[in-house]
Amino acid sequence: MKKNPYKVLGIKEGASYDEIKRAYRELAKKYHPDRYQNNPLADLAEEKMREINEAYEELMKNAGNYQYRPDYEESYNNSNASQGTYKQQYQQQQSGSYSYNTQYQYQYENESDLENKVRMYINSGNIAEAQRILDRMKNRNAAWYYLQGLVFLRRGWYDRGYSSIQRAVNMDPSNFEYRNALNNLNQQSAGYRYNNYYRNSYHTSPDMCNLCINLWCLDTFCECMGGDLISCC
Amino acid sequence: MFGYVEPDKPELKIREYDVFRGYYCSLCKTLGRRYGQFSRLTLNYDLAFLYVLLDSLNSLPISGKIQRCIVHPLKKRFIIFSNDFAEYASDMNIILMYYNLEDKWNDEKNVMGGTGVLALKRAFNKAKRRHPEKCASIESHLKKLSALEKQGCDSMDEVAEEFGAIMRDIFECESINDENDRKALGWMGYNLGRWIYLLDAYNDIEKDVKNNSFNPLVSQYGFKGYNINDFKESIRGKVNFALTYSLSEVEKAYSLLAIEKNKGILDNIVYSGLIVRTDKVLQERGIEDEKESL
Repeated sequence: MKKNPYKVLGIKEGASYDEIKRAYRELAKKYHPDRYQNNPLADLAEEKMREINEAYEELMKNAGNYQYRPDYEESYNNSNASQGTYKQQYQQQQSGSYSYNTQYQYQYENESDLENKVRMYINSGNIAEAQRILDRMKNRNAAWYYLQGLVFLRRGWYDRGYSSIQRAVNMDPSNFEYRNALNNLNQQSAGYRYNNYYRNSYHTSPDMCNLCINLWCLDTFCECMGGDLISCC
Repeated sequence: MFGYVEPDKPELKIREYDVFRGYYCSLCKTLGRRYGQFSRLTLNYDLAFLYVLLDSLNSLPISGKIQRCIVHPLKKRFIIFSNDFAEYASDMNIILMYYNLEDKWNDEKNVMGGTGVLALKRAFNKAKRRHPEKCASIESHLKKLSALEKQGCDSMDEVAEEFGAIMRDIFECESINDENDRKALGWMGYNLGRWIYLLDAYNDIEKDVKNNSFNPLVSQYGFKGYNINDFKESIRGKVNFALTYSLSEVEKAYSLLAIEKNKGILDNIVYSGLIVRTDKVLQERGIEDEKESL
């Protein structure tokens, strides 16, 4: 059964073009494959993303307004493009290719087969096998720590995962992939902590305490400069 | 150990607060009906959250009645009618609390624990008969957990894994038909369990050092008898990351669930309540003072 595209995007029927677009953007950010990297639920997120793309596509088709057309084509192509790369990645996994993209493939071409194998197992979600190979490897270089970190993260061992990746970055600070992974970890946790709901709640709104401190600071600064904001103090 | 999962009350709408309380009271009544009046004392917020979460995966309207109950005899309250999920959550409540009390009794010979074990024994047997596989799985994780505790395991991840696995069992409710939802629930439970275990460990550092009992954070970072506050301060960043990242995974799993109702309440807990709770423990703003009954 096909789902109601309005419901998929979480908007009212007959929502305006802007509303649809905003809802789509928000959801696309939420279910973006980057956010579900190294997550056992990645396939569910992928499916959700597909649903959202389909719903958006359909609504935009129905909107069919000429003046919006160019913009729509653009974002549609974008979404298709991202889907494309994702699909490609998936196919790579299927065909037994080991790396996220060609850049890294090149980089690891000359390295041991074991590392590639570990990557393959991580990508296909076979964490136990990846760990077995890692345990067998003797050379504990930056790449080893990085891969071990990925395995830890996938298992839900975030403390060790973080330390391992941190170690990989320390051993090889110039490596973009390792640094990227570390940044991603920090971003995920900061992104959650300062989510919209929390940000818009009373926790961050200015309270009376802040107001008083601000007034006091302002007064002090004014006095420094020779003026006075609050004359009694 | 339990009761860390709760809403960020000031941010709830009054209507949402009433509905949440309706669920809480409903679970309490269900416990009383199925397991006797004493079992109502063991009710905690974590299971109330599970009840709301499971019940929100279908679009049946919320129905309840304004009625009296013996816990709050003076004022009538809105109480939601019990359903399968209330029964499931009440079973899980009994199972978890029984194991928890048994653990306390075995480890510290805690008198409260011993009394609780005796009082809950019958209720527990009943619940175990209803969920034999769940109990077997939980028992095997508990066995591993206590073995790790005995050998003084020095990795917080390794110990928290077992508790996470227990919560995964609890969250993977068989009455949820959708396989994807069950998978997301399981991952949510695992990460929530990790968070509960580690948060509790941080909260108990002082007590555990004083009683010389096992604490994963103390054994991982090696407290060597200098100032305990400095020690807590020195590991706060690391612990904060482990906790927050676990919660971010809870949120990722949550956003994949097909929530049909009570979105306000659940969003409040997932996006704010858990963070507030984490900060309270990490910054040690008096938790005990703020604890109050619904």
